[in-house]
Amino acid sequence: MKYLSFLFLLVVFSKFSFAQEVAALPKDETGKYTYYEVVNSTVKEDSLKARVLNFLTKNKKEIKLKSGDGKVILATGKLIIQKSLTVISHPSGEINYQFNFEIGNGKYRFWLTNFEFIPYQKDRYGNFVPSTTVATPLEKEPKKSITEQWEDYKLQASKYAADFAKRLKDQLVNKVILPPPPSEKKVISKTW
Amino acid sequence: MKNNIAALSLLLLSTATVAVAQEKASPLEISGSVDTYYKYDFNKSGNIKTYFANEQNSVSIGMIDLALKKTTGKASFVGELSFGPRGQYQSIPDAAGGSDPVANGFNIQNLYVNYAFTDKFTMTAGYMGTFVGYEVISPAANFNYSTSYLFGAGPFQNAGIKGTYSFSDKVSLMVGLFNEWNQYSAARGVSSLGGQLMVSPVEGWTAYINGLHGLDVYGSYSTLVDLTTAYQVTEKVKIGLNAANLSAGDDNFGYSGVALYPQYAFTPAAALGLRAEYFNYKGISGGPSASVTSFTLSGNIKSGGLTFIPEVRFDNDKDFSQGFLKSDLTTLTKSAAQFSLAAVYSF
Repeated sequence: MKYLSFLFLLVVFSKFSFAQEVAALPKDETGKYTYYEVVNSTVKEDSLKARVLNFLTKNKKEIKLKSGDGKVILATGKLIIQKSLTVISHPSGEINYQFNFEIGNGKYRFWLTNFEFIPYQKDRYGNFVPSTTVATPLEKEPKKSITEQWEDYKLQASKYAADFAKRLKDQLVNKVILPPPPSEKKVISKTW
Repeated sequence: MKNNIAALSLLLLSTATVAVAQEKASPLEISGSVDTYYKYDFNKSGNIKTYFANEQNSVSIGMIDLALKKTTGKASFVGELSFGPRGQYQSIPDAAGGSDPVANGFNIQNLYVNYAFTDKFTMTAGYMGTFVGYEVISPAANFNYSTSYLFGAGPFQNAGIKGTYSFSDKVSLMVGLFNEWNQYSAARGVSSLGGQLMVSPVEGWTAYINGLHGLDVYGSYSTLVDLTTAYQVTEKVKIGLNAANLSAGDDNFGYSGVALYPQYAFTPAAALGLRAEYFNYKGISGGPSASVTSFTLSGNIKSGGLTFIPEVRFDNDKDFSQGFLKSDLTTLTKSAAQFSLAAVYSF
């Protein structure tokens, strides 16, 4: 019986964990889905800016700097949407977004907004590429037939934004990243 | 009982672990398409013989297309097979049996490996969908269901090795060495040099300038120059253009043509598009040329992975090069018209 209870708890815990990951993005005053965060920081402004720019450079496949003058940094990024999360999946589209970062007195704020979806189509070489340059804002009401799919796009955007924010904040506090484990010690058998 | 529960728990945990691990690893991509269609020729003859959909008053099948792709670090491969008339004997070559629809088995659409040396430079080797032209074999990647004369005349696939360098998001250059057209392996050695310059002058506009010099499928050493471009003018209007010229050095064969593809999207799921094409077979050894004009009006109605393509097509063959027949099936005529309704499902 206790094993069954354990199994039940495990299943409930798993579901709860997944549910926590997919909280929907809130909308801003203009009605756009936005991830917004204000963070107190003791890091100097120059260092903050340098670290943000370094973060963008390290993630250049995902996000590109548009302008970085003064205390305001603008960039555009994209996340690839997978058709399913199983082992057999393929990209079905991308969600583009705008990243804004501002430095204030003893704090900084950033927000991800203008989430827009572009569907993918397979090209002549078997690769999935954007089928159009016309993007559809995530706020737009989808057709009935793709409502479920559209909800999934919004949840994937939400999950991505939370993960992006965590990675960015870790970079800005210069969180120590554990060094790789030391290489295996070689045994030299011919010496005493 | 305890063992079963323990095993089940272990399975559940390992499944969760695998699910987490999969997010980090590049998954094996599996994709493809299936297509079927009905076609009716108004002269009750299979008059318009562009590569696919040649029947009359028939519900026919196109092909099932299955593709695998895997990326590991900087290396990737694509393997894509098709089965069915469109993917077998109508798409040269076949795995076995040449153009015999009874003997052949399947057609390889793509089979290549790719390595990205840097973010800007990649090399690819194997058998690839051709870089030339606007339309492709797979109906899932075309707007119109029937294909153009330009598509039928040009290469379908090229086996070879190529390198692509991206100068920026707006400019890239590909140069490669290839076998003769549409051959898995070279019968007369690696005989062709090809290149493609991609430019994207403004957002929504991309142009490919292609060149291919070498042994063609007609048995001649020829030079093919091709322009393929598409411009998303507004959210609803898109215009595509394909123009090509093939000249055989020994004057055995040649063609030139141009096709315009204006399209209008009423909604993201419903669009209407026209293909207007002029195609000219160059005269052999100073002989007369023969030209064809063609107008194809197609709709695209999408629902999930399914696309319905209703289509009407009118061809004018002023030099009787296509052998169009009247409804008595004996008298030659200059004009042909057909209606088709295709269903293409992509997954």
